[in-house]
Amino acid sequence: MRDLIDIWVGAQNWLFETLVSPLLFRFGLMEWFEPAFNAVEIVMLGIVQILVIALGMRFFEKRWPLEKTGNDDLVAVDRIYTVLNKLGIIPLAVFMMSYPITNEIDYLVRSWGFAPPRLEQLVPWLHDSALGSFLVYFALYDFAAYWLHRAQHKFSWWWALHSLHHSQRQVTVWSDDRNHIVDDLLMTLALVVFAQFVGVQPDDYILILMIGRLIESWSHANVDMSFGRLGERLIVGPRFHRLHHALAGPDERHIHDHNFAPVFPIWDMLFGTAIYDGKHRPTGVDNPLMDADNGRGWVAQQVTVFGRFVRALAPRFSRGPIQPGLRPPAE
Amino acid sequence: MNRLAIAATALALAAGGAARADSVLVLNSEDASYSILSRSGRIELVRMPIGREPHHLVVTPDGKDLLLASTTTNELLVLDAKTGEKRRVQRDIIDPYQVGFSPDGKWFVTAAYRLDHVDIYHADGFKLAGRIFIDGLPSHMTFDADSKTVFVTLQQTGRVVAFDLATQAIKWNVEVGKAPAGALMLPDNKRLLVALTGEDGLVVVEPKDGSVVGRLQTGKGAHNFWPKGDGRHWFLSNRVEGTVSLLDTQDMKVTASIKVPGGPDCMDITPDGKELWVTQRFLRRIAVVDLEQMRMVASVPVGKSPHGVFMLRSAAPGPGTGPVRAASTSDEQK
Repeated sequence: MRDLIDIWVGAQNWLFETLVSPLLFRFGLMEWFEPAFNAVEIVMLGIVQILVIALGMRFFEKRWPLEKTGNDDLVAVDRIYTVLNKLGIIPLAVFMMSYPITNEIDYLVRSWGFAPPRLEQLVPWLHDSALGSFLVYFALYDFAAYWLHRAQHKFSWWWALHSLHHSQRQVTVWSDDRNHIVDDLLMTLALVVFAQFVGVQPDDYILILMIGRLIESWSHANVDMSFGRLGERLIVGPRFHRLHHALAGPDERHIHDHNFAPVFPIWDMLFGTAIYDGKHRPTGVDNPLMDADNGRGWVAQQVTVFGRFVRALAPRFSRGPIQPGLRPPAE
Repeated sequence: MNRLAIAATALALAAGGAARADSVLVLNSEDASYSILSRSGRIELVRMPIGREPHHLVVTPDGKDLLLASTTTNELLVLDAKTGEKRRVQRDIIDPYQVGFSPDGKWFVTAAYRLDHVDIYHADGFKLAGRIFIDGLPSHMTFDADSKTVFVTLQQTGRVVAFDLATQAIKWNVEVGKAPAGALMLPDNKRLLVALTGEDGLVVVEPKDGSVVGRLQTGKGAHNFWPKGDGRHWFLSNRVEGTVSLLDTQDMKVTASIKVPGGPDCMDITPDGKELWVTQRFLRRIAVVDLEQMRMVASVPVGKSPHGVFMLRSAAPGPGTGPVRAASTSDEQK
């Protein structure tokens, strides 16, 4: 294990000293010395994730597909989202926008003398169990992500952004990162503040993101596979999450308002939003304006979705009445 | 030491929560833990939990306690400075990044790196005397010999600030160069050395008014000082260059440069003066430098982003070590 750590850290150090550190030094940005070193690790982890998706998960999609994939152009834009996210380009942009805000919140709260609570104080045995501690923080993080995901569906302005993620007609392992950058920003802000509040360690935070996002990529896979009856109730899998991407129909207007959990389905089971019916449904959105995302590239999607976000947020910017379907159906 | 003996020692330490005198303590700043290593075996014996983001440490003026500063949880973990045994937790010390005692032992000072303030406490009972908010990431500190002034570097704004300890008033606030970090008041009490992490060396500062009166090139990312123990030579880590320089502060020149890869940072010297241990922040290791050969002879795995380091000591003090030891200040050479 230590050999693996040495190889990993050695590569990280080499990349940092060769590519990043000279730039920081040259441009007088040495106060970012430590964060930049950690950013290199995030990019490395992103490369690993892309390899796992491209070489591992794609194998299962090709071998046991649930749906026949027709137009590969629809999926191509999702690959761009994945690469931009996993290589840290969008996360860096989001970080630069969110850091001043999260830092100010952190500064304010800590200047009051508030120290983040530590679960280890309440549950002392967590001190001695790295795995137990990690799983507890992972579950807390996932719990927050579950409720934020529900909020994405609940508020019309947020749904205007999040609908980009749902508008894909061909959901695949590449679909997880298909999000509007403002949506990414809002989620990052909320989750970072939450993580700071509950005291998630920086290293745990990176690992939670790494494992969580891989599980979420797999849950979008176009595969006819299951973790089994028990497994599907422990970890979100493709069948469970595909229902969340289901195309709403006359008989199932709210079908996509179920199975919200990112990693642990227990939140859906606890709060009455879980459906395990095993039915196969097509994916996408029933609103033609949102469905039109499918014909667009990355830039066009970002621009048009931002437009519908602004119109949903402030209807007076709309040229006409709010287009039908911009608001999620009332529950 | 064979592996079985190491395992047995580690188990015994873990059970007792204490370390022996032949031990090194390292703060793993991104693992929320500290490691205790065997100096002679050059191996990690046990890893213990601590609040969040521990960076620096300091020994109390009486030499009995070792204070480990846990920044995010606003507390100091108090250990026995000889055995490493836990004694208590000192709470309500806000964002204690860098910590230090004045030479007379009356003042305890913390630099809140994240929250941009410097706190000056009466050391007896940790009663806050004054909190001074100041922009620019206050990081390292050093004291004058008569315990009237503490000098604090501001990494972001490139400045050094001198605070009057008794009144907590700012005496001067002067720009000295890019990203000043380690600060060292020399024993003559007339020259203040400041390492510039954003440049490739140090500046000599006049303690009375902060004016820069000299420069010395050491290596890119000059960061932190540690005394060799003879009152004349100091080590200086160069984080970007990946070296440790040996400085002759009398002639103001670099007498040796030792390669230590992985962003070398804090240091401590063994009681016999034969080895310098240097944290390698990026490699999750601590380097052992043989001071006779003047080269790195070992690198021992520890936790993530190891920062402060301390030699747990037997009763007899080692060469050049006074009663006060701060991880990144060097006001102890008296």
